[in-house]
Amino acid sequence: MSDPRDRLEARPGAARRRTVFVAGVLAVVLALGATLGFGLTRDPRGVRSVLVGRPAPDFALPTLDGSATVRLSDLRGRAVVINFWASWCAECRAEHPALEAAWARYRDRGVVLLGIPFEDLPDHSRAYVDELGGGWPILEDPGSRTGLAYGVFGVPETYFIDPGGTIVERHVGPVSYEDLTAGITRLLERDA
Amino acid sequence: MRRWAVPLLAVLAAAAALAFAALQGPASPPTVEERVREVASGLRCPVCQSLSVADSSSQVAREMRGEIARDLRAGKTPEEIRAEFAAAYGEWVLEAPPKRGVGLVAWLIPVALLAAGLLVSASALRRWSRRRARPAPLSDADRELLARALAEEEG
Repeated sequence: MSDPRDRLEARPGAARRRTVFVAGVLAVVLALGATLGFGLTRDPRGVRSVLVGRPAPDFALPTLDGSATVRLSDLRGRAVVINFWASWCAECRAEHPALEAAWARYRDRGVVLLGIPFEDLPDHSRAYVDELGGGWPILEDPGSRTGLAYGVFGVPETYFIDPGGTIVERHVGPVSYEDLTAGITRLLERDA
Repeated sequence: MRRWAVPLLAVLAAAAALAFAALQGPASPPTVEERVREVASGLRCPVCQSLSVADSSSQVAREMRGEIARDLRAGKTPEEIRAEFAAAYGEWVLEAPPKRGVGLVAWLIPVALLAAGLLVSASALRRWSRRRARPAPLSDADRELLARALAEEEG
């Protein structure tokens, strides 16, 4: 007990305070590590659209062939499906038959299908439509402004808008025929 | 108290210099490109990993910069533009989290850490200065030596 350092160690409370300090630092480090670990398990692309349940952003866009202008607010009272696509997008090509089939089934039941190219050149869009056909209105979206207003991350993306003009569902990636019929059925139920 | 005067003055001088520089701002008004860059650097590129709209060369980022430029020319404020993108893409798109809800934590942690650091250093400084202010008591042998030396001096 003659060495002053011994007395320092033996001071009551010092050891306990150090334990509390170390435990505190450890807790903070563990919490940060757990947060980081959790973040790593999540897909950064899996972001839910904030627009679901909100009014669909309005637009007035010319059709690709320049024959007409389509204004979304004019389509109130009808179920609307908007498909964002691009000529350079392989998955869009893959989903094209599904869109065609859904269009054939629902076009006479008041359902509107609109295609809006995203990040595409009008000439390329036209060539794509000429090649694959379809028949539903394809609109021209200069500067992809409508796509940006809908929060499109990448193509293809498909939005289901109910007769009241509310976005009910957003499908990221290629849609299947089943996705389309299920989505459209939900829209038509809302009409009733 | 005088011990604190010099460091305190130094800190105040540095703060004043920083404040002056911050208030002065750049020499010329920013161009549209610079303003676009400023807004775009606060927005996350939707198709990238950890890149801002300003730094990405992707098509979406390019279109977003075009939209920002159009909006700025139309007289919209950076806050309005940010709000518009957040309405379409969610708050996810903002590089800085909102100062409310869970996002507030990210803003408060640095402040809390700074305060904790200041507290720890203040208490450490106080402990050190107290230790130095109270010199170790002289041993009997030291005392005797000192008394003898003083006596010799006077004698």
